Amino acid sequence: MKILVAEDDSDTAGFISRGLRELGHNVVTTADGIDAMHLLSTEQFDVAVLDRMLPRLDGLSIVRRARAAEIHAPVLLLTALGRIEDRVSGLEAGADDYLVKPFAFSELSARVNALARRKPLKAEPTRLELRGLTVDLLKRQVLRDGASVTLQPREYRILEELMREEGKVVTRTMLLERVWNYHFDPQTNIVDTHISRLRSKLNEGGKPDLIETIRGVGYRMASDA
Amino acid sequence: MRKWLSSAAYRIAFINFAAYAAGLAILGVFVFGVMHIAFSRQLDSMVSDEARTLQDEYASGGDGELAEAIAVREASASPTRMLYAVFAADGHRVHGSLQTRRPTAGLHPIVFQDPSEGPDAARARTIALPRGQSLVVAVDSEWLEGIERIVIIIFSLGFVGFVVLGFGGAVVVGSYLQRRLESISSSAEAIIRGDIRSRMPVGPREDEFDQLAATLNRMLDRIEGLLDNLRQVSSDIAHDLRTPLARLRNRLERGAVGPLNGDSLVADAVRQLDEVLSLFAAILRVAEVESGETKRFFEPVDVTAMLAELAESYGPAFEDEGRIFQWSIAPDLSVRGDRELLAQSVANLIENGQRHTSKSAVVRMTGASAGSLVCVQVVDTGGGVPEADLGRITKRFARLESSRNTEGHGLGLSLVSAVAKLHGGRLILQNSAAGLSATIEVPRSGQAPADFSRERRTRKKEEQPE
Repeated sequence: MKILVAEDDSDTAGFISRGLRELGHNVVTTADGIDAMHLLSTEQFDVAVLDRMLPRLDGLSIVRRARAAEIHAPVLLLTALGRIEDRVSGLEAGADDYLVKPFAFSELSARVNALARRKPLKAEPTRLELRGLTVDLLKRQVLRDGASVTLQPREYRILEELMREEGKVVTRTMLLERVWNYHFDPQTNIVDTHISRLRSKLNEGGKPDLIETIRGVGYRMASDA
Repeated sequence: MRKWLSSAAYRIAFINFAAYAAGLAILGVFVFGVMHIAFSRQLDSMVSDEARTLQDEYASGGDGELAEAIAVREASASPTRMLYAVFAADGHRVHGSLQTRRPTAGLHPIVFQDPSEGPDAARARTIALPRGQSLVVAVDSEWLEGIERIVIIIFSLGFVGFVVLGFGGAVVVGSYLQRRLESISSSAEAIIRGDIRSRMPVGPREDEFDQLAATLNRMLDRIEGLLDNLRQVSSDIAHDLRTPLARLRNRLERGAVGPLNGDSLVADAVRQLDEVLSLFAAILRVAEVESGETKRFFEPVDVTAMLAELAESYGPAFEDEGRIFQWSIAPDLSVRGDRELLAQSVANLIENGQRHTSKSAVVRMTGASAGSLVCVQVVDTGGGVPEADLGRITKRFARLESSRNTEGHGLGLSLVSAVAKLHGGRLILQNSAAGLSATIEVPRSGQAPADFSRERRTRKKEEQPE
């Protein structure tokens, strides 16, 4: 995957680009806003990771200009500003996701992966299937090996998110944001308790577990046994 | 005088008084003028009518009849004394007793010789008779002047009385206003000099000045609260951050001297740093909420749905721990606000009930409406907190001795309180029979922010012995 990283703090830039390269991505870095804008408009990126505060042209303006110029590369904004207002303005400018510093690298990579997947907005699937598990998005129905599984609304939403990101890690915060629409971190791990309910419903009768726990990060729908 | 002129209170009082006085004077002059004209017309028509009657007498009976009619009239004592004279062509008086020079025909004021009083003013109607004679009928205008003189005297005395009273009133009103304002400004001066705890005196009448003083006091309370908060926060941040940072430092130092288990050392250090960072995030969140900036993002929030979601989200977590979580939520609860902040607040209350009580304690959440308020109550059966700490635990970093060692940074309730205030409501903490009861009260959609300060004041009043 080709990723643009625009970050003026060299420590953070190194931390991000090294990590992404280790995962096998092709990373282009810059510490300057005008450069980043130039790169975005001349090259094709799968994901752009932009710091909100860059010299010469800030991240928010880059997103705005890129969107105005019909550049649709998914953008993840990084910021030290964690206020509600900042998040809202970032998303309004056209960013696809927003990550507040400091963050864990696993969180960043999970979000970058999720964004890259989102890009080719082809026909929206109506059915998600994986190793005998079927989620019918229209009927909101779940089948395991042909047998219907009854889920609570939130359990269903979690499963849907995991299935959409099949084979990729979905972090707890991503689930909180997408399923609950919470941008705060509850002390009680409500995500974990829901996952454990979901698991036990899906695995009823001793079936193999399809949800893999990535310790300290999140969950993944295992695509192979 | 200088003091009076420079004072807006006196100026207003005096201008008010002067306006009334001028109005009264204008009214007096107008009434007097109208009265004068009306009476004069009355006199004119009296003499004209009389002259016409006598003219008719003359026309029917000639000079003899006229003379007789005049004599009869002069003999009778009428209250409005009419005076008569008939002048011959050569100008000397032939009938009647009116001593005056012969006037020309028409209506005129004349001066005649009153046998008892000397020259006197009168209104006279003169009609020309045949053969150069002329008939004069006059009425003494003295009684009219008398009435007018009395009116002027009464009005002048009244006006002087009004001026004296009005001036006195203006002085009293002015000094009253000035005194009330001065008491506020002298309190303000005291505060400027550094006595931040000083307050405006609030009188018992609840008039505009009392309301102003009460409002200023509320403002001062808020400022003092913010100042205290700031002071508290800076010292608490220093305090609360030292402990984890010192621990982290020690651990890293030990790792530097002799490598223990490198992996677990780093993992530990990261975990501790995360704690510090989450503390920072929480501090910033509370500060953001307290600043009121997020009000711009307010929108209608379906509280019923929000609470149901929280209940369903937390239910399993309680169940897994073998705890009991109950809830009852009234339908159609809605407020104008920030859904996430409200959800986080209720989540904080639920988590408090979960973390600070024993496993056997029951946590119960109730969503209901009470009048113009939406009330979300979270009650536990965990024994409550010491009464003395109730007011303290919403303060930043306040942690009870008993929970010093449990997880958390002591910002949960201060966030809840700040969020409630942001929404024009409040957080009420009480010890119920079995444990702690925390209630968030927020005005329902379309309701003005509740004025709790007033309520508090009236309650205080009720407590006073009658």
